[in-house]
Amino acid sequence: MGGYSIVSDVVIKTVKLTKRYSSWWGSQTVEAVKNLDLEVYRGEIFGFLGPNGAGKTTTIKVLLGILYPTSGEAYVLGKPAGDPETHHRLSYLPENPYFYEYMTGKEILTFYARLFGIPEPERSKRVNQLLDRVGLSRAANQPLRNYSKGMLQRIGLAQCLLNDPDLLILDEPTAGLDPIAHIDIRDLILELREQGKTLFISSHQLSDVEIVCDRVAILNRGELVRIGKLEELLSGGYVEMIAEKVSENVLEPIRQLGGRPSWHDGRLIVEQPDDGSIDRVIDLVRANGGHIISVKPYRRTLEDLFVETIQGGRKQ
Amino acid sequence: MNATAAIAGATFGEAVRKRVLMVILLAALVIILISPAFEPFAGRGQRTLVMSFGFGIIQLAGTFIAIILCTGLIPTEIERRTIYTILSKPVQRWQFVLGKLLGAIGTLAFIYAMMGLVFLLVTRLSLGAFEPQVIKGIVMFFFQSSLLASVTLFFSTFVSPLVNYFLSAGVFLMGNLMSTFLETIQRNPEVTPLTRIPVQILTIILPNFANFNIQNPIINPEQVLTDELAYFIQTIAYAIVYMALLLVGSILIFNQREM
Repeated sequence: MGGYSIVSDVVIKTVKLTKRYSSWWGSQTVEAVKNLDLEVYRGEIFGFLGPNGAGKTTTIKVLLGILYPTSGEAYVLGKPAGDPETHHRLSYLPENPYFYEYMTGKEILTFYARLFGIPEPERSKRVNQLLDRVGLSRAANQPLRNYSKGMLQRIGLAQCLLNDPDLLILDEPTAGLDPIAHIDIRDLILELREQGKTLFISSHQLSDVEIVCDRVAILNRGELVRIGKLEELLSGGYVEMIAEKVSENVLEPIRQLGGRPSWHDGRLIVEQPDDGSIDRVIDLVRANGGHIISVKPYRRTLEDLFVETIQGGRKQ
Repeated sequence: MNATAAIAGATFGEAVRKRVLMVILLAALVIILISPAFEPFAGRGQRTLVMSFGFGIIQLAGTFIAIILCTGLIPTEIERRTIYTILSKPVQRWQFVLGKLLGAIGTLAFIYAMMGLVFLLVTRLSLGAFEPQVIKGIVMFFFQSSLLASVTLFFSTFVSPLVNYFLSAGVFLMGNLMSTFLETIQRNPEVTPLTRIPVQILTIILPNFANFNIQNPIINPEQVLTDELAYFIQTIAYAIVYMALLLVGSILIFNQREM
């Protein structure tokens, strides 16, 4: 694999990336990733989604050089995936990170700082700064075996920031955290974007992804099934209007305006596309003696999109 | 080398906190300490008893510790995913394997130092004089265990820990017996080349662990190593070269390994 020229701000690029796992005797083959074409741009937060077994972690491992592609190409920061030179500029937080439990928070960060080749006194300074930044200064000298899951996740993020990376690859960064820790980590991610970092986040926490990500890709059974800007993918919401004392004469005009009227307990419920036509529907209802009870916009959520994409239909 | 040293340090730190290893070490230390008490039951002189007991226990403990420590060095890192945060840093795979081996050797050095100190103390107290020869024997056993650690680490790059226990123990056993076996069949004119040649090949390929056992000349002063210094240099150089070859093999296999 050769490099590619960084004329654009492409930080991660895969071209027809395929990864197959074979049994020892080669009789059984599982295609974990199939012909994946992906581009992640500098400064964005990219959500990498998919159900369990979709190929997300396999892709991440290929990007890190822990797994080798069966075919296709993968580039990170302009170099072939796994190039040790790029590892000075990227960081990775695995899902449910496990560290040497006998070490203290300070020791584990010092260990990783040594792996990055950060010399003293810069190393100690950065370790202390990061412990402070993730709120673990008080627990700095406690062994990791006494840390809660949230504290371990914070240490995991701290080790990601030791090298002031350009790219952070985070696998389930908020999984299993209590609400406070959850918000803290989410805020930290947003703070990192403000600093111009690129974040590649694999997550099942769709509400988080919806809040923080600029673009998302959805993988299913190893194949890329959806990719795009979140605002574009989530367009197409609707407005729900509930009215009573409405004559049936309004149903056909509402349908002509693209609405979906239905009756429930004598009340008219209309699902109207979010395209401004709701005003005309309201006028129509009022003109026919109806009384508006409520008008409520419904935005399409990432969960809707995800379920629709994976199951081929909108969540009921 | 900073990354390699950091990995070696972490490996050492973790190893000396492994309960099973420390229990073996503690048991060995206790047995060495109480060994003079067995004199009434032994039909030999106290010196022979203390020396045989001490060396026997040190070799046994060192062998167990080397195998138990090294079977899990790489598989455990993969199983609990600590390896991902390490290899995603600017750390090359050869640095990881080298760091692991150096950490294991450091642990063995620590364990042999502990056992050696207690053994020296016991010989001083029970025999009334320091036996500096003991140090030579312990150094040789340390290199024997380090070589065994390299064998086990090599296997750990491609087999499971359970298989590795048996493989490493098997290699250690054969490596201790092959040269004696070869001598025996070479003296026997009835042995055909069909039997002799495979044994010769195996003796060359397998690490010769027997050469590191010099307790007989130490215990029995009438047995003299003809050129002791040359013997030491050759045997230690053999260990280092063999370990280097195993390390290269381990790195080549680990470079291809997917996790």
